[in-house]
Order: sequence, then structure tokens, then C-alpha cells
Amino acid sequence: MSSTLDTTPGGDARTAYAGDGQELLRIEGLVKYFPIRAGLFKRQVGQVHAVDGVDLTLNAGETLGLVGESGCGKTTLSRTVIKLVEPTEGKIIFAGRDITGFSRRQMREVRREMQIVFQDPYASLNPRMTVREIVSEPMRIHGLYGGRERKDRVSELLRTVGLSPEHGNRFPHEFSGGQRQRIGIARSLALNPQMLILDEPVSALDVSIRAQVINLLESLQQEFRLTYLFVAHDLSLVRHVSDRVAVMYLGKVVEIGTRDQIYGEPTHPYTQALLSAVPVEDPSMRGKRERIVLTGDVPSPANPPSGCRFRTRCWKAQQICAEEVPALVDRGHGHPSACHFAEVVKPFA
Amino acid sequence: MPEPATAREPVLSIRDLTVEFSTEDGVVHAVNGVSYDVYPGETLGIVGESGSGKSVSLMSMLGLIPTPPGRIVRGEALYRGRDLLKLKPKELRDIRGGDIAMIFQDPMTSLNPVLTVGEQLSEAIRAHNPDVKEKEALSRVVELLRLVGVPNPDQRAKQYPHEYSGGMRQRAMIAMAIANAPSVLIADEPTTALDVTIQAQILEVLKAAQRETHAATLLVTHDLGLIAEMADRVIVMYAGRVVEVGDVMTIFSSPRHPYTTGLMESIPKLGGGDDWLRPIPGQPPSLISPPAGCPFHPRCFLSNGRQRCRTEVPPLRPIDERDHLSACHFAEELIGETEGLGARSPEGVS
Repeated sequence: MSSTLDTTPGGDARTAYAGDGQELLRIEGLVKYFPIRAGLFKRQVGQVHAVDGVDLTLNAGETLGLVGESGCGKTTLSRTVIKLVEPTEGKIIFAGRDITGFSRRQMREVRREMQIVFQDPYASLNPRMTVREIVSEPMRIHGLYGGRERKDRVSELLRTVGLSPEHGNRFPHEFSGGQRQRIGIARSLALNPQMLILDEPVSALDVSIRAQVINLLESLQQEFRLTYLFVAHDLSLVRHVSDRVAVMYLGKVVEIGTRDQIYGEPTHPYTQALLSAVPVEDPSMRGKRERIVLTGDVPSPANPPSGCRFRTRCWKAQQICAEEVPALVDRGHGHPSACHFAEVVKPFA
Repeated sequence: MPEPATAREPVLSIRDLTVEFSTEDGVVHAVNGVSYDVYPGETLGIVGESGSGKSVSLMSMLGLIPTPPGRIVRGEALYRGRDLLKLKPKELRDIRGGDIAMIFQDPMTSLNPVLTVGEQLSEAIRAHNPDVKEKEALSRVVELLRLVGVPNPDQRAKQYPHEYSGGMRQRAMIAMAIANAPSVLIADEPTTALDVTIQAQILEVLKAAQRETHAATLLVTHDLGLIAEMADRVIVMYAGRVVEVGDVMTIFSSPRHPYTTGLMESIPKLGGGDDWLRPIPGQPPSLISPPAGCPFHPRCFLSNGRQRCRTEVPPLRPIDERDHLSACHFAEELIGETEGLGARSPEGVS
């Protein structure tokens, strides 16, 4: 889905625009622990290891899909990247600048380039503001595009996301879920960013509406050369939109590679189990696919297992898995996998 | 495949069911003349988006919609010859949880937080079998929990719902639903709140429960993957109407309603190509003032503004010999267009 269009960005004094394929975002050793407090004096009695040592890079113009089940840390990771959540440890380097220690004021500038679209289009739009106010708010905060120009830009943005400028005078409650998500996307584009973090952008929408929004996101990416961090639990959807995919389990990336590597030649048992568990829309395949049904539940991130975090549900687990954390490295299959016993299993052979 | 399920007597027959809700904005026509049969032992998938009436039709049959604002305008729901819509609340209570049991989407809100799982299960058993002694009920509870794959069922029975994980709660719900060996099991989005690896476990449990009880299962979902995986027959609903009925292979390999084909084309497939998705244009219709004629016509690629689609409600009619029904005036035009849309392999490979 990467774009080859070389549209020039919105001019003015802003951070250097990363060319296609160049590194735009790098995360190094990112850790986020949330304290668990209990008792009369709210003493800290433990911590939730939400994100526990993640390294990732995003290149300009690509879509990196981040998949995993609830509680794996994918949402925390995406919010830490844009510093809605402060990281406990690690580095976030965006467009060549280390933004880890940036203040709120400094982050404001970064957020011109990096925006986030939330899952719930009912909760993420202020019900007391008109659509025009919502979409122009980022410009107001940043003092960009005054008067007439701002008004024109809102109309243009609304048209870009498939709404009409007349919609600007209405309130969010007058719109359906899909239309609200379009409003959220228009707002995220208001400052002409380089990168969007999309956190489950369609999972709250009706099935027949999802494809509309996905197609919109794909055409916007081509038009504006956007870089996407696409967070979702729906594996078919992530396959459809992503160039590269990272699979998370209990706060760690367990496997990362190109879309075809992850879906065609997964090497981590967790990835294999995930893919085999997805129901396939083809009744003639029923009973013909080998399904890996994992036993047990995801362990608590407050007290993750030693060694490999997946070992408590893994059919390959040996002694070494309890003792040694498997590093996320290429084990001879062309892409990194955090399994001591990584081997390719083709899911759709 | 053995003899087709449809050759037998239906265990449940819905006839011309019509349900409305009064709201401040007007009357919501939630279910409009819905008819279908459920046969013993089959899994009937009911697909539709939110607002399609798939849940309301089932809830109203079991007396579970609040009246008012809800109102059953007309119709019948025949269970073994008795019309459920005419039963007294007490009679309906005896059937609910006994002959007809339900599994809901959200197990946390469907279980009582102040009773242990064992107490709730034993209550469910004894409510329908007053002669069963407490001790006997308890041993049955442990047996049920074991059947649905709850580890250490003796200890787990003494725990409260909050001590269970999401997947375990859903297992407890299934145990409760099958406690009285129902002949109809209604599973309303049973795995929507669960992660995919947990969903796979629950589907196995559901299949095991069905094997054990031989219950006809109504699987209500918006997930076509689940339908392909679980259902024998499929009902597709749109705007409070049934728009297509058929066996699962037929529905996926040769859909004959433009809404069904639209749904199949709009979802990304795990093993699919790189093409753009083909969304269904527009929005689901308002149920307060639904479009005249076919409710799907404003979004339909087949209608093309034809007069008949705009004025005449298409009846659900047989379109071939395989008990395949479609509510489209021009269903025949889809022949040859849609083959192999849902399925990657040719039909009849089952």
C-alpha cells in the first residue's frame, strides 16, 4: 500500500519531511509500567508490564500493522508513541529527533506531524461542538490558517473524507458511526501530518461501513503520503492494510516481518495459533484447516511468566523457555521471531 | 451430509413476526414480517448488522423485550405447536432456560455477581427441576463445568464470576444454558467480546455442548467467518426483514441477494488478494421511516433505480430447488455473477 506519489507537503517551517522509505519513527527499548496501588495509603504493590521492551521502526509512506489480543499492550504502545502516556524507559525518535523527554509544549509541535484517530467515534468528538469547530480546532490551537483560509480548509477537509461542507454546521449526534469516524479523520488531517496512529479505527463500525472507511484511509495515504501505525485485533483487516506487521503478546513483539512473511510464513507459535484461530469465510474449508486451539488464558501482565511469556500456552515449550527470554532476532527465516524453536508453518498450504 | 434438516418437522417456527418500538422520534419498525423455521439439531446462522432485527426477533419471541416501548404487532412463534407469543409470563419462564436457553454476548452482565458460579448453575437446574436435591444439583454443576472445559471444576464452582476470566465466564454461561438439556439454544454474538484464541476455544465448547444436547442452535452474529465455520443453514437479515435463506454452502458459493454479495465483497479475507475492498455505499436505513419498496434499494448495485425496487417490497421467494430463498425482484440477474464470491473453492466439495 505504500505510495509512490511525490506530492509536496504543506510548505512552511516544519520538521524535515522524510522521503518515502526513509525512517520516520524509531522506538528503542520502550517500556511502560503502570503502578498497581492498594491499601489505605495507596502504596504501590506491583506494576502492570503493559509494554516491556519494544523496538520498532516505521518508514515514511508505509503501514505497520500492530496486532495482538486485548491486554497485549498494543494500545498502550500506540499512545506512548505520541506521548499521551509517558514511557517508563526507552527512546522515541520521530523524524530524527528524540522526543522522549519533550515537554507538553514541545509535543504540541510534534503533534502537527503525528496525529491519532481513536476507536470510538462516539466518545472522541465533543458533542457540544459543531463539526466545523471540531475539525478547525487543531488549526486554532496551533494558530494556523486564519479566517477565510481556515474556513476553506475545513470545507476542503470535509470533502476529502467524503462529507460535504454543509455538514460543518451540524453536531456529532446527527451523524452515524461511519460518518463520525470520517469527522475524526478530517480532524487528524487538519494540520497536514506525516503520520497517523490508527487505534482500531473501524472496529466500532458496522460491517458494511468498515470497508468505506478502510478505502478512505488507503486513498488518503496515497494522496498525502501518510505513514500509518495501524493497531487492530482483526487479523484479516491488518493483512489487508499493512505493508509490515508486528505481532504483540503480553507487552512484547514476538514476531515482525513483511505482510507476506507474517501471514505466509509465520515462525512464532503464537502467530501460528492466532492465524489458525481466525474463522475463514469459506464453508468448504470447514474441518480442512488444522486449527491450533491454545489452552488457557493470557497470563496477567502484572506477573508475566519468566523466560518466554508465551510458554504457559505453548505446545513447544521446553526447559529453556522458562529460563531464557527469547530475543527478537532473525533465526534463519528472513524475519525476526522471538521463539527459541522458531520454524515456518504455512497456514494456507 | 445426512438427510437435509429441512425434511424434518421444525422445532421452532416464526411466522410473520412484526415488532415495533415507540420512541420520541417515532415508531421504530424493528422487525417486519419475519418468518423462518428452525429444525432439530441444526445450527442456523442469523447474519445481519446492528439494527437488522436479528436479536429483537429472538428476544421478543421469548418475552424479553420491554413492553412498552416494544410492541409485538402480529405474528406467531410456534414451539412444538404452542405459540410462545400467547403464553402467560409464568409459562414462558418455564420454557426459557429449560427448553429454550440463551447464551449472551457479555457474560459479565449476564451472570449474577453476588452468587458463586456453582450457586447460579444449581439454581438454574433446580428452577426447572424442583425435585432435584441440592447435593445432586451440585454434582451436576461440577459435571457441566467439566464438560465446558473449566479446569478444577470442584474449586471453580465455589468462585464468583469476577474470579473468572472472560473466556471462563463464557464457558460458565454455556454450562448454564445447557444445564437443562434444551432443544433450542440461542447464542447471540457468543464470542464477540472475546479474543480470537479464546473464541476458538469457545467455539469448540459450543460444538461439544451441541453434540451433547442435540439442541438446535441459533447463532446470531455479524461475523461471516463464524457463520462459515459453524452454521448448517443461514438467514441474512436487513432492516428488520429476512432477505436471503439457504444452506451455508449455497449462501457462500452462490448468494442471490445483492446485500449478501455486498457484505461478502466488503470484508477483507485472510487468504485474499490485494484488491480494494468493495464497500456497500451509503448508510443502513432509518427504521423509523424506511425507504419505500425494497429497503436495500438505495444502496443496491443491482437496482439501478428501477421502478419496481422503489415501489414494491420484494417477497421472500424460492429461487432454485435447494430451499434457497431470496427477497430480491431481480435475484436471477445474479446468476453467474456471484459464483465463488464467498468460497475460494467450487461448491459441492463438502
